[in-house]
Amino acid sequence: MSKHMVDCDVDSGHEDVGEGKEANAECGESDDFREYSDPLPGFPPIIARILATLDDPIASSELLLGYIEQQPVIASRVLLLAKVLATRKRSRRAIPDLAFATTLIGLNRTREITILSSIAGFIADIAPPGIAGNFWQHSLAVGVCSEQLALLCAPPATAPAALIAGLLHDIGQLWLYRFKEEAFITAWRQDLSHAAGIEADERERFGVDHATIGAWLAEHWWLPPGIGTAIRHHHAPDKALNEPLVPLVHVAEVLSNALGLTDGGVSRVTSISGAACRALGLTWDEHSRALFMRIEARMRHANTFLPRDALGKR
Amino acid sequence: MRTRARTFPLIGTEPGMVLGTAVAVVNHRILRYALPAEHKLTQDDLRQLRANGAEFVYVAEPETRSDEEIAEDVAQAARNVLDIFADADLSDPILAALFEQVLAYRSA
Repeated sequence: MSKHMVDCDVDSGHEDVGEGKEANAECGESDDFREYSDPLPGFPPIIARILATLDDPIASSELLLGYIEQQPVIASRVLLLAKVLATRKRSRRAIPDLAFATTLIGLNRTREITILSSIAGFIADIAPPGIAGNFWQHSLAVGVCSEQLALLCAPPATAPAALIAGLLHDIGQLWLYRFKEEAFITAWRQDLSHAAGIEADERERFGVDHATIGAWLAEHWWLPPGIGTAIRHHHAPDKALNEPLVPLVHVAEVLSNALGLTDGGVSRVTSISGAACRALGLTWDEHSRALFMRIEARMRHANTFLPRDALGKR
Repeated sequence: MRTRARTFPLIGTEPGMVLGTAVAVVNHRILRYALPAEHKLTQDDLRQLRANGAEFVYVAEPETRSDEEIAEDVAQAARNVLDIFADADLSDPILAALFEQVLAYRSA
């Protein structure tokens, strides 16, 4: 066992999570972590498959259509968006099937709806009741900011990968919450009055912070290494700026807080990495306001199709 | 007539609508298409915006708030930004620049 261990006793009311595990067991290395992550619901495999087909529009379209046909909730969202588009275009033509609907809304938007719906559903499955809505809203805000930064800047990172990395950047917090609910809430509350940030409190209490756990989860779910690296370094990006997603997700989280996109949450900005901004070629000037507008417009659009209440009322 | 800008999805935008803010469609650092504020949109503008990947525009709508209501909204928005940056080290020029732009955006 490592000296840097996280206490993984499983007496926090989530018996299903720790069933068959030794009480008060400790885990800190990723091998130990994997053992304890097994009881988590499986991460949607469609995400890795979407990333694997980004360079092949035909394969990507076939993959998405085949998947959506098996997913009634996502299919209904695609059909709804297609109907809205058809109405706004004043088309009287009916939407005969999903293939027509995905053609109408386009590959990028179909891919985005699938990513958002799949990860929202996953978070709804694993987040304890009462925090899913706020957690999703923050994840969505950082995902949207990451996606828009990827479109604006010219990193060798794709917008879908940026969206996924942003959506998952705090996934380690859910893991901590599931296993050590009271300790996590205490750390979170202390964070509100500390400038040091929640990750310092987490390391003190658990021996590991949520960013590291999130990176382990990404590896466990076979996501591309760049996504795990971005999650691991989203609070302290300077040592990993060679991975394009790292500065993106760091700046995206600062930006989502600066714009106060998580309503009901506590948005706070304490610092930003200048090196990350430079890596993205970003300067904050009057031209930045167009980016702010796009981000807020995308957030409103995403919330229309994935209302926060749908997760928060679980 | 006083106006305020409101987001419109491009597909809901019609010729004759007036832009509330300038439009600059930038993709991977390349300026794809630009239109000035107060420009009256034409069918060709909409086609160009769609072709260049624009999704939203800000359309000018009549301002219905009184001067007092506008001032109160701006003051509240500024207070929110100050709260968000309350613990920020604004001696950092990059963070200070971000703060200034967010404050200006919220105060517009």
